[in-house]
Amino acid sequence: MSASVFSPLLAEIGAEMRQSIRAPEFLIPTIALPVIFYLMFGVMLARGGTEGSTYLLATYGIFAVMGPALFGFGAGVAAEREKGWLRIKRVSPAPATGYIVAKLTSTLVFSCLALMPIYLSAGLLANVALPTQVWLVLLASHLLAAIPFSLLGLSIGFSFGSGGAVAVANLCFLGLAVLGGLWFPVMLFPGFLKTIATALPSFHLAEISLDIVNADSARPVARHLSVVAVTTLALAALAVWRWISQR
Amino acid sequence: MTAAIELQSLVKQFGDTRALDGVNLSVKRGGIFALLGRNGAGKSTAIHCALGLVKPDSGTATVLGNPAGSIAARRQIGVMLQEAHLPDNLTGREHLALFASYFPKPADLNALIDITGIGDFADKLYKKLSGGQKRRVQFAVSLVGQPDLLFLDEPTTGLDKDAREAVWNSIRTLAADGRTVVLTTHYLEEADALADRICIVNNGRVIAEDNADAIRQQVGGSLIRCQSELALADARSLPAVREGQRQGRWLTLLSDDANATLRSLLTEDPSMTDLTVNKPSLEEAFTALTNQHPEGHA
Repeated sequence: MSASVFSPLLAEIGAEMRQSIRAPEFLIPTIALPVIFYLMFGVMLARGGTEGSTYLLATYGIFAVMGPALFGFGAGVAAEREKGWLRIKRVSPAPATGYIVAKLTSTLVFSCLALMPIYLSAGLLANVALPTQVWLVLLASHLLAAIPFSLLGLSIGFSFGSGGAVAVANLCFLGLAVLGGLWFPVMLFPGFLKTIATALPSFHLAEISLDIVNADSARPVARHLSVVAVTTLALAALAVWRWISQR
Repeated sequence: MTAAIELQSLVKQFGDTRALDGVNLSVKRGGIFALLGRNGAGKSTAIHCALGLVKPDSGTATVLGNPAGSIAARRQIGVMLQEAHLPDNLTGREHLALFASYFPKPADLNALIDITGIGDFADKLYKKLSGGQKRRVQFAVSLVGQPDLLFLDEPTTGLDKDAREAVWNSIRTLAADGRTVVLTTHYLEEADALADRICIVNNGRVIAEDNADAIRQQVGGSLIRCQSELALADARSLPAVREGQRQGRWLTLLSDDANATLRSLLTEDPSMTDLTVNKPSLEEAFTALTNQHPEGHA
């Protein structure tokens, strides 16, 4: 009997993964872009010490999970909604949660695929040496970051047509990355940009990851964690509201 | 046994448009039921209420004894919507397998592929299919749950003649199996060829519900066609004429008493030619019925 609960979910996840694998126009940029950036800025330009490579390992990890979350959810949901697929599912007995859980699973799998080459480049090419448990906690912090970005992507997918959703997802993708200090450290920012950064979830998520890789860090992690928690709840509420109002 | 569909006093307003204006409809189990109406008449909104996609402002919709849109209702129905597509990057067979996972007793997929005749393209990605092939995969998907009640919204739009015949045959087979099929269509010949009962919706109301013959009868009268010079206004004022239309030299009159109309017509225009007198077809009955009920809510 338990099979009847899990088999729709497994079927849904399988279908979702299969579709993503068959869409290289989505896969290649989301997986290749972060590691290419990391190789350029975190490996080649950071010769001489591991400090820069370690710093950018933490922040590019956040950048790497943003792509699958914002584009998989944002652009994917918008396209499927516009084509009427969500209406077909609504009149079928498919559980609404199955769709979201399958998309989230697929986002996490593709996030891992985007993170692995960055971790390997950091460890093997840039000589970033971290204890095993630190690597694992870092991976956990990066994967957790996928949740608020997925919720944001979901709101975008429920709010815009497929063309608009891609544009808005791109805007969020670049804005959150650059202004949140994922590409260049926030400490290099002029004053007003620093203020903007502290308002963005990408900044707080990056600070948490930075604290994990830096044993001597004096970052107020509890504060960053609470900001992330509140932001995530707010994004969840936004997603639910957008979901209800598009029906 | 409860009815297949029970719609009671459904009202739905979209902005300035009253899409449903008190729709009452009861569809018995078994057989093929056609909802007929012009674009914007309210037939799709009525179906969407029965599916739970649209929440009516007032009134109730029940499907097989369960509230419309409830999980119990959704498990027993199969649906083919208009302008609703399956994801591009899965094959027809993969779509069927995904849908099979939603239902307690899914159909045997190979048998279903055979019955619906989609075998030649069941393993192609959905995005590579032609419009008609996509429609037929959607039809197969609607049957995965072995539904007691099947909703088909304009099922044969975009199909060529052979594909349409194939879908018609599947629909007849399903009905012969004891299932209920509810379809909306704007092809009158489709309703005439398939449906045991026809319901005509106009301006958000049900204006006729019966079998095709009875609907023809309901209009009654005779259709008089001839080539004549007589002005349309004069022709309309002839005795017993209910409706009149002119297309070029051709004059068409719907008369309640063909003998009376013809006697005056021959007096008024002795030069008229090519006279025929017929009972109205379903299409003419439909036109007459929907014209008798002009805009109620201007």
